This record gives sequence, C-alpha cells and structure tokens, in this order.
Amino acid sequence: MTDIQNNADISFLPGDFELKGAENTKLDMNFASQRFWKEAAMRFRKNKGAVFSLITILLVILLAIFGPMISPYTYQQQNIKQTNWAPRVQGLENLGIFDGSESLKTSTGTKLKNAYVVDKETGAKNDTYYWFGSDALGRDIWTRTWTGTRVSLYIAVVAVLIDMLIGMSYGLISGYFGGRVDSVLQRFAEIINSIPTLVIVTLLMLIMKPGLMTITIALMLTGWIGMSRIARAQMLKLKEQEFVLASHTLGASNFRVIFSEILPNIIGQLITNTMFSIPNAIFTEAFLSFVGLGIPEPMCSLGSLISYAFKSFTTHPFQIVPPVIVLALLMLCFNMLADGLRDALDPKMKEM
Amino acid sequence: MRRYIIKRLLISIGTIFVVILLLFILLQLMPGSPFNDEKLNVDQRAALYEKYGLDQPLIIQFFKYVGNMLRGDFGVSYTISKNTPITQLLQTRLPISLSIGGEAVLLGAVIGLILGIVAAIWHGTVWDTIATIVSVIGVSVPSYVFALALAYVFGYQLNWFPLLYDMKIPLQSSVLPSIALCMFTIASIARFTRSEMLEVLGSDYILLAESKGVYGPKLIVRHVLRNALIPIVTVLAPLIVGLMTGSLVVEKIFSIPGIGSLLVTAIQSNDYNVVIVLSFIYSAMYIGIMLVVDILYGVIDPRIRLSKEGPHD
Repeated sequence: MTDIQNNADISFLPGDFELKGAENTKLDMNFASQRFWKEAAMRFRKNKGAVFSLITILLVILLAIFGPMISPYTYQQQNIKQTNWAPRVQGLENLGIFDGSESLKTSTGTKLKNAYVVDKETGAKNDTYYWFGSDALGRDIWTRTWTGTRVSLYIAVVAVLIDMLIGMSYGLISGYFGGRVDSVLQRFAEIINSIPTLVIVTLLMLIMKPGLMTITIALMLTGWIGMSRIARAQMLKLKEQEFVLASHTLGASNFRVIFSEILPNIIGQLITNTMFSIPNAIFTEAFLSFVGLGIPEPMCSLGSLISYAFKSFTTHPFQIVPPVIVLALLMLCFNMLADGLRDALDPKMKEM
Repeated sequence: MRRYIIKRLLISIGTIFVVILLLFILLQLMPGSPFNDEKLNVDQRAALYEKYGLDQPLIIQFFKYVGNMLRGDFGVSYTISKNTPITQLLQTRLPISLSIGGEAVLLGAVIGLILGIVAAIWHGTVWDTIATIVSVIGVSVPSYVFALALAYVFGYQLNWFPLLYDMKIPLQSSVLPSIALCMFTIASIARFTRSEMLEVLGSDYILLAESKGVYGPKLIVRHVLRNALIPIVTVLAPLIVGLMTGSLVVEKIFSIPGIGSLLVTAIQSNDYNVVIVLSFIYSAMYIGIMLVVDILYGVIDPRIRLSKEGPHD
C-alpha cells in the first residue's frame, strides 16, 4: 500500500471502491443457466416416451392422493360377508365388463359366479361397488392399491433425499479434498458396497420391527453409494479447472467452491442419477414387502398387496392385477423419465 | 499387476472379515433368544447355553465362529429343523439355487448378446426398436411380475410346465423360474452390448478396416465384437445382485427349495444361525465374484489396471 502511495501521488479512500463482482456474476450465471434449462426442456419435450412417462407418473400421484378419498371404503375396513368379490364399476357394468362376475375353474368345470346378485331368479344386484374387487378379508382393493401406491411414492421421495443429501455430499467432499480424506471415505464406501444390499436389509429387519421406518433406514444405509461415486468422479474431473482456481484466489471458502461453484456444473448428471435410483428404491421396498419383510398388516404397500393376492392368484386373478400394473407402470415410467432426462440434460453422456 | 492383485485380494479378505464381524454384532443385538420355549426353567436354559457355547465371553464366541465359518462348519439350525447341521440343509438347497441362477445367467447372456448385436447392426430399424423396448421393460419390470405372469399363463392356464417346483422333474420345473430370472440379465446385457457396439462401429479403426475391404460377419466378429465385449465384464456385478434378490422372490413364487426361500423362512422364524450363515454365503459369493471381475478386467484391459493403481483408487 505504502509503495503505491509513494510512487504516484494518489491516495484511495474506501469510498472509491464499489463492490460489483457479486452482482455481475449472478447476472451471468442466470443467463447461462437459463439457456441451458430451456434447451434441456426443449430436448425433453421432443422425447415422447419421457413426456408420456411424466404424465403417467403425475396421474398415478393424483390417483394416490385422491383415490382413497373418493372411495366409500378405508384401506383397513373389512367386510367378512363380502370376500373375494370381483370388480364392478358403475357404467361399465352395462357393457358386460366389470359387472362383478368371475369364472371359477373347479374340478367339475368352469362356472360363472356373480357375488353381487341378491335375487337369483331376477338377477337383481345390490348397490355395492368394488371397483377393483375385494380381497379375502373383504377389503376394497381400489382403496388399498392407492394407499399402497402412497408408500411407493414416499419411498421415491426418500430415495431422492438420500441421493441428494447423503450421496451427493459424500462424493463431492471425498473428491474435493482428496488425499487421506478421500482414501478413508472410499474404503468405507467400498466395504459397505461389497456387502450385498439384500444382506444388509435382511439383517436390519431382524433387529428392528418391520415397517416403513426400517425400510427407510435400510435405504439410507445402502442407497447413497452409487450417487457418491458419480459425484466424486465428476468432482475429480472439475476440481483442477481454472474457474475453481479463480474462486479460490478470490478467497471463496471450500464450502462455497463445492456447493455453489462446482455443483451447478454437474447438477445435470446428478439429477439423472437420482432419477435412476427412484425405481431401484421402489423395487427394493416392493421386494421386501413381497418376501414378507416389509410393511406389516393392516397397512399395505404395492409389494405386500401383490404378496397377499399371490396366495389366491389362480382362483381370483383379478386381485393381483391392479397392484402389479401400478407397480410395473411406476417402475417403467420412472426409468423412461430418467432416460429422457439424461438425454435432455446431458446429450453427450453415453447410454448404459 | 501382481501388486494390484495382492491389494485387491487383501481388500476382499478384509471385507469378508468385516462382514463376519458385522453379522456377529447384529446377532448380539437381536431381540429374543433361540430358546423361546416357556417350559424351560433357568437351569435348563443355562445348560442349553452351555451346550451351544453361548455362555462364553463374546470375543471368544466371535473367534470360534470365524474359525468355524472358514472351516465350513456352520453350526446347527436352532428352530427350522432342530439340531440339523446347516451344512446338511445347504447340501440339498444350494445346488438347486445355483443351477437355476446359472441357467438364468446363461440364457440371459446368450439372448441379451444376440438382441444387442442385432440392435446395433441394424441400428435405427424395427429390430433396434424391438430390442430397446425389450430391454427397457426387462430393466424396469421386477422379476416377480414376470414370474407371476409366467406362472399364471404357462403353469396354470396352459399347464405346459409345473406351477410349483417338483423335485422329481427338476429340468421342467426350472424352466419358468429361469426365464423369470433371466429377463433382467437379457435387458442389461442387450443394452450394454448395443451401446458398446455402436461406439466401436463409429470408431476410426472400424473405418480403416472397412476401407481395407473387411466387411460383413468378419468385420463384426473380428473387429467390432472383440472390442465391444471387453467391458461387458463390468455388468456382471449388478447382474449378480439382481439374481440374488430375484432368486428370493422367484423361489417363493414357485416354492423352490433353494437358499433364497430358506433365508426368508429363517428370518421369519428367528433362526439366527441360519440367517447369519446365509448372509455370509451371499456376501462371500458376491465379494468373490467382484474380486474375479476386477482381476479379469485388469488382465483384459491394461488401461484399467493402470488407472486403478493410482493413489486415489
């Protein structure tokens, strides 16, 4: 400071300086990222499969929210007199489908049965309607299917949170600091990763009560590894670049460099990867419930519904169809949506 | 190379040890004891504990356990079938599971490869679309949905194959489970082969080969496939995970007396000795296969070996 003052007879006062940098960079970043997102949205809209999947997922979400509300039954309400009734829907029944009749295969041959008929001579039916039929305990499958879908959607949210909070931070920090921190974190991840998820989850189920909380914890223990790897690899690629050096020189803290300088550059890949982990998580839950380690009765999830309906799926196949279709649709659509997002956000990334 | 193999081997051994330790700790945390019979009085219980060595300090129990595990002496089952050595339970069940898993891998690899190659060669045609649809469905739809559909159509309606596993006709019985299990394998191998082949097809050395006059099957087999198939080793790991979880479900659906269904029964009946052994076997298989995959990959592709020897990985 003194040198400068001596050489040129100028002295600077604090008022001569104006902090402008932050404002400018913000403007620039906004502009750049807006274009990026706009282009991505354009590419996404061109992908018919992805758009279709997005709409289907939104529909399923709406049905999961409102489905149980518009039905007169609750998911745990039993009616012992009305067990295993076939689906019957207002309107459609006049067309000859979904009129509550089902054909039963017995040793003496096939016979048509309609449980809704009150008066056998006139064929008059009562005014009960089970849109998807009722199960072996007389519970409404429509309500139970959508209640179960809520569980799967909750799992999807959990998966995203785990990926974004645990996996991303773990990978970014490990990659950014490198050296000993990286070694320790990577060894830890490697060990967790070389124990099959199946084993971790089953053991967890042993020491804790089966339920939504246990499944959440199981996902938390294992779900973040894939994401952390991708975040770390991306971080290793970027951390030597000039803009990182620049922000270091300007005195940015490590936290700032990681989360507001580097993260925006790789968020596309991270979002894509998160989307791919959703179907995995949904599958894990459905799988656990199917095997009998998941949600306990009378609560239900798609997996437990399938498991329950499986016991009588040769005699009453209608019971297993709704949860299977909803589950398959969810898995398929989340996968196709993730595919579409990958193509939109990162056209260079190769398909795997 | 030798350094890499030794390092990889040490990590695997370390992991197996961690797994056993983890299993042991979890066992100690578990509620209930193997002897839940209320008729037992304190003395009888103590006698039972002594007989099975459950009264010794934990650390001794642990090292005894590690020793027994490594010698293949897995102890006895407490509740599923009383006092039967677990080795005996495994003797009948493990081969069934392994053979169905093996069939699924073989079937899946062959069909997946064909699908992937067809899709890549006739890129952008109907074949490509069909292969893509098959692989998307195969990856996204859980194997038990396939299992249920197959069981209903071919097992129940058409009656071509037994609906439930029949020990007397193992070959026919294993057809439906293998098909249900292999869908995921088909899908991931097809996807992977397709994208790898497309990348190789677009490379400069293929252009060179073509301009030298190599074409047709010779080009595909000698130049494209050889290079495209190297990385296929990497899909093995997710496939094995898929097979493990898949086997539990598929074994339940077709009531196959394999280790998957044994694990489920063991968990439900709190037979923790069996659970621990099965978890150990699953982990050991997984770790072993990962080790082989990593070493194989290093042998096949020197680039991987070099980068893996770097300080950070």
